[in-house]
Amino acid sequence: MNRSARVITDSPDATARLGARVRTDGLNLAYGKQVVIEHLNLAFPAGRVTAMVGPNGCGKSTLLAGLARLHQPSAGAVIVDGQVLARLSPREAGKRIGLLPQDAAAPDGLTVYDLVRFGRQPHQGLLRQWSPEDQAMVDWAIEACDLKELVDRPLETLSGGQRQRAWIAMAVAQGTPLLLLDEPTAALDLGHQVEVFELIRHLAAQGRTVVMAVHDLSQACRYADHLVAMRDGKVIAQGAPADVVTPELVRHLYGIDCTLVTDPLTGTPVIAAIHRTPSTVADTNGNGSGH
Amino acid sequence: MNTVSDRRPMAGSHTAPPGHLLLRYREWSVLVLYRGVLATLGLTIAMFFVAGLALALGTADLNPLTALAAAFGTGTEQDVFIVRELRLPRVVTGILVGMALGTGGCLMQTLARNRLATPGIVGIDNGATAFAVASVVALTTGLAPSGMSLAGSITALVLVLALSGGTGTRGYRFLVVGIGVGAVFGSITNYLLARAPIDSANAAYPWTVGSLNARAGGSVALLAIGLAITLPVAVFLGRQLSTMRLSDQVAQSLGISVRRVRVGTLMVAVTLSALSVAVAGPVGMIALLAPEAARYLAGPRTVPVLGSAVAGALFTVLADLAGRTLFAPIEIPVGVITAVVGGPYLLWVLLRSSSRRII
Repeated sequence: MNRSARVITDSPDATARLGARVRTDGLNLAYGKQVVIEHLNLAFPAGRVTAMVGPNGCGKSTLLAGLARLHQPSAGAVIVDGQVLARLSPREAGKRIGLLPQDAAAPDGLTVYDLVRFGRQPHQGLLRQWSPEDQAMVDWAIEACDLKELVDRPLETLSGGQRQRAWIAMAVAQGTPLLLLDEPTAALDLGHQVEVFELIRHLAAQGRTVVMAVHDLSQACRYADHLVAMRDGKVIAQGAPADVVTPELVRHLYGIDCTLVTDPLTGTPVIAAIHRTPSTVADTNGNGSGH
Repeated sequence: MNTVSDRRPMAGSHTAPPGHLLLRYREWSVLVLYRGVLATLGLTIAMFFVAGLALALGTADLNPLTALAAAFGTGTEQDVFIVRELRLPRVVTGILVGMALGTGGCLMQTLARNRLATPGIVGIDNGATAFAVASVVALTTGLAPSGMSLAGSITALVLVLALSGGTGTRGYRFLVVGIGVGAVFGSITNYLLARAPIDSANAAYPWTVGSLNARAGGSVALLAIGLAITLPVAVFLGRQLSTMRLSDQVAQSLGISVRRVRVGTLMVAVTLSALSVAVAGPVGMIALLAPEAARYLAGPRTVPVLGSAVAGALFTVLADLAGRTLFAPIEIPVGVITAVVGGPYLLWVLLRSSSRRII
């Protein structure tokens, strides 16, 4: 398909075009007695793409689970558009927050269209199983994620990138003002990574608030408007990628030394000349395990 | 680069998603899955056909039409007696037991995302059996086997859940713990039978192999009532479970109360297997095979709760018919037939399909 000719229309559902205002208010997230995130006050810019970066176990996945209402806070709250998330019914939350988790799987034989249809679940009921809005949103999500030629293909016959696009389309069809993505490009090759990130940019361009956990710092800088750097459950830096990312931050996050160069095309920082920091500061990486 | 335009999708083209029939009335809309309905319909026709055969065949073979007429009370006095007093209750019992087993199996398999996770395999049937046998041989109380087997199945389930920490995402731990708990209850049953006087051991024996011969009217009525209440609930749960096939996280983010669905599913499955064990003992394999057949026929777009129920009824009546007639006048308990036929079939299913397949 000639991608340059593709036109993405606005979401037919108006609410999805208003970015959700999301913040945490003294948020504590814990597994049993082990506190992963303690008293976190953090706001995510509405209508923008926020990337959460940090070493394994820094708490970014836990925070994402907290934002998605999968993990109940032990104290504090997540506030979405002025309302406490934990007090919303599952269905209400499902109308506001879409999630692409890491370990999603579908039964064999389910087609792309079948999967995307699941995104309408929070809007459906026993006597409202397929409304015109449902159909418009599903068709639009399929269009936006460039899946038109694949709608009738069983998911197991797709490539990794295509399948990931189908899962994103499901979350997009949900029509939520907030979209959470847990490492949306994990296990994808470079071409498919760029494809997925560009799709995310387009979704945000329509006003959605997007929060994603990302491993690759350079790509986070390239595709996010806002960067949240986490270590040991704490936010150690946040802001526009070009302002936030410094060699000191990279050393503090990952225990590596590097040189930052500027991407000649986009002007965003790119990590180069990476090597491990000598042992005097290497302990910054060793105890970073959050759970 | 893509461009963002202001174009809206075409309005007024409201059509059903692939494979569905869309029924609309004002703002209400209901989807009917063609393949799911056809599967249930086909299984129902097959089930009634086999049930008709079961009424006609036996020690005294009747013409199927004569048998049908006798079932409605017309014909010679002897025919009417054979059909209405001897065969019809047994066929009805088989249908009810099979529906309970098929429904419970379908719900549990889908919940645990594992095709082996049926109430029988995870020890619930064994718990029910142990308690039912205890009520017959050890405790000379008036407690009906239904009540006891319900207590037993709940005990087994609570034990399995507590020891495994929930059904989990792929159900392996749940399964292994369940097999262990089932083995413990199985040995309790054997111990009770070994210690009991021979007469009461004989009375309890049908509960240990699975037989439609030892039915007690009260238990059958309880099973029928239980099915009438839980089957609509099970169909409703099936809709939510269909989304939970995508993972608990996705289901939760799509507005499903995962915990509520899980509790409801386990309660329905436990109730149905307890009530059916109280009637017929642990009839193995039906809970494994019936949902398998229903899924094969109905396709991946649905969790075929009703189809599994009807397939369970079909298989149970068929197995009982075979047990009654193949080696007549010797009667083989239905549980033995299902194990002999079901075992190899199960092996074939497991070897045929890839191991990473999800329900």
